[in-house]
Amino acid sequence: MAQILSHPILRRLASVPPAYYVFGLLLLTLWLARPNMLNPNVLGIFIRQVVPLGILVLGQLLVMRVRSIDLSGGGVILLINYIITSKTFPEASGLTFILMALAIGGSVGLLNGYMIAKRRVSAVIVTLAVSIILVGFVQFLSSGKPPGDVPKYMNEIFNISLGVVPLPVLFWVACAGVMWLVTQQSVYGRYVEAVGENPEAAAFSGVPVERTVVLAHVLAGLIAAVAALVQTGSIAVGSVRVGLDLPILAVAATILGGVVFGRGEGGVWGPFFGVLSFSMLFVVMTVFGVGDPGRLIAQGLIILMAAILYGWRSKRG
Amino acid sequence: MITWLRSGFSTRRSRHGLWGVPLVIAVGLTVVLTFGTDQFATRENLFNLVAKAMPLLIAAIGQLFVILVGGLDLSVGSVISFSTAILSLDGPAVLMIPAVFVLAGLVGLINGLVITRLNVHPIIATLAMQYILLGITRILRPVSGGEVPGIVIAAVQGNFLGLPLPVFWGLFAIGLAAKILYGSRYGLHLFAIGGGVAAGMDDAARNYGIRVERNIVLAYVACSLFAALAGVFLAGRIVSGDPNVGLLFELDAITAVAIGGTQLSGGVGSVHGTVLGAIIMVLLANGMNMASISPFLQTAIKGGLLLAIVGLQSRKKMGL
Repeated sequence: MAQILSHPILRRLASVPPAYYVFGLLLLTLWLARPNMLNPNVLGIFIRQVVPLGILVLGQLLVMRVRSIDLSGGGVILLINYIITSKTFPEASGLTFILMALAIGGSVGLLNGYMIAKRRVSAVIVTLAVSIILVGFVQFLSSGKPPGDVPKYMNEIFNISLGVVPLPVLFWVACAGVMWLVTQQSVYGRYVEAVGENPEAAAFSGVPVERTVVLAHVLAGLIAAVAALVQTGSIAVGSVRVGLDLPILAVAATILGGVVFGRGEGGVWGPFFGVLSFSMLFVVMTVFGVGDPGRLIAQGLIILMAAILYGWRSKRG
Repeated sequence: MITWLRSGFSTRRSRHGLWGVPLVIAVGLTVVLTFGTDQFATRENLFNLVAKAMPLLIAAIGQLFVILVGGLDLSVGSVISFSTAILSLDGPAVLMIPAVFVLAGLVGLINGLVITRLNVHPIIATLAMQYILLGITRILRPVSGGEVPGIVIAAVQGNFLGLPLPVFWGLFAIGLAAKILYGSRYGLHLFAIGGGVAAGMDDAARNYGIRVERNIVLAYVACSLFAALAGVFLAGRIVSGDPNVGLLFELDAITAVAIGGTQLSGGVGSVHGTVLGAIIMVLLANGMNMASISPFLQTAIKGGLLLAIVGLQSRKKMGL
């Protein structure tokens, strides 16, 4: 058995991020169950739904590659959504909103990064606590009631389509391309890889470990702000529950995409397909009439399976 | 006695952690609430507080076990909701009450095995479990309702020797945990495992012949069993099953443990500190209620408290 498992071909297959297999499998399921759903128009709409998640994942994969995690994205999305829809700033233009969103995302990221890299606090606890603070604060401001309407122009931008490809999807692919360039081509990308592979070795080699981690969190915060703007464009009315499960889905998609905790492994396109897998999963579950509980179980199982697969691989290292 | 008291204020002296600080805070809060408000030092309010504190106290004591070995259990809240859902299934009490503990033990066993044998990070494993169990709970009981066996309700609501029954639940949990952690070889081994993990030497305890994997698995089982006990208690209090009653409970439990001077990196912590942490959380909530602070804002303040407490604990490792 052990010999079969260590066969080169099998090892090669096992090193492909599970996202590709899951995506293929779900696509096959959909093709067998509902072949008529597999046309570009329908798929475009479905994929458009997961663009906020897809953008959030780009930040998540960065922090997970430096052995950290960011669960504060839900709070960031909620706060930005609230500010835009609550008419707290009635005169604000689109550009002002974008700047405000980036300021919020950047400062939350900076706080996360400072606590995690400088104070050495557990990343899960810090980012969960930050998320709870933000969510509690927004619910306090809104007394738990939906704030108001999303500005028309945001919905209009979100609904633009170039041929069959929706604009948000193009934007997502472009963002992923930029992230790919950053991780593969820049000096900072090398630092990220070094810290993820072995923080001690990186520190001894002169890599500014703490600064790399702080910057990863600031970037993740800024990316969460962008995800918040897209998410806001995707809904007509503001909500006090929007985006709350996105961070954990982002973690799941990132693990599915081949990024390993405690190892600087994994690219940008694996998690990209991880998100696409989730989009397919939602379609398949809708098709088969699986409700909210089934969705929770499926999410948990996918996180667990992906983590087990990688635990098994890294143990054999 | 004096040395013991002094150890509560020193970071180096004791494996029990900084429990003197929460002691001062708890006493301070009690004094402020007693003399600052009329409603605090009344019989009803105090009895009510004890009942309110118990689920948190019991869950926090369970969480202490896994935190001592440098782990974390985020599935506690789901186990609590799951327990109330099972109890409200309308079965006979002799069957349902053992079932709750068997199933919770199974959840802990799966958590522990996935973490130790399959090499999954505790936070990821228990987070996944949180989702799976929440899903199962919502299938069993989509909305709150159902009826809890009468014996559970009777065991929670009522008095004995002039004290409310919840007090005895707390004493039982505290006594059991203290016996296991301070009075058994297993407890000593937990401290040894966690001490090694906190110092960055995961194999330290193994090199002394301690069966690390098995002990860690048992810690997760213990955590889930305490969570189930908290769930049974809560079911008796709300008299029905509720799929959302345990939501975010794990974070309250972690906050209570951390406030009590236990190091989240492992190896340093105490039962009495954890009890003090839970008391502080409940006193704060009571004080904020009397000052009529919005419950939403209270959630935010609790988050800030957690952030501040963990920010004061430095550890060696960076990241998760």
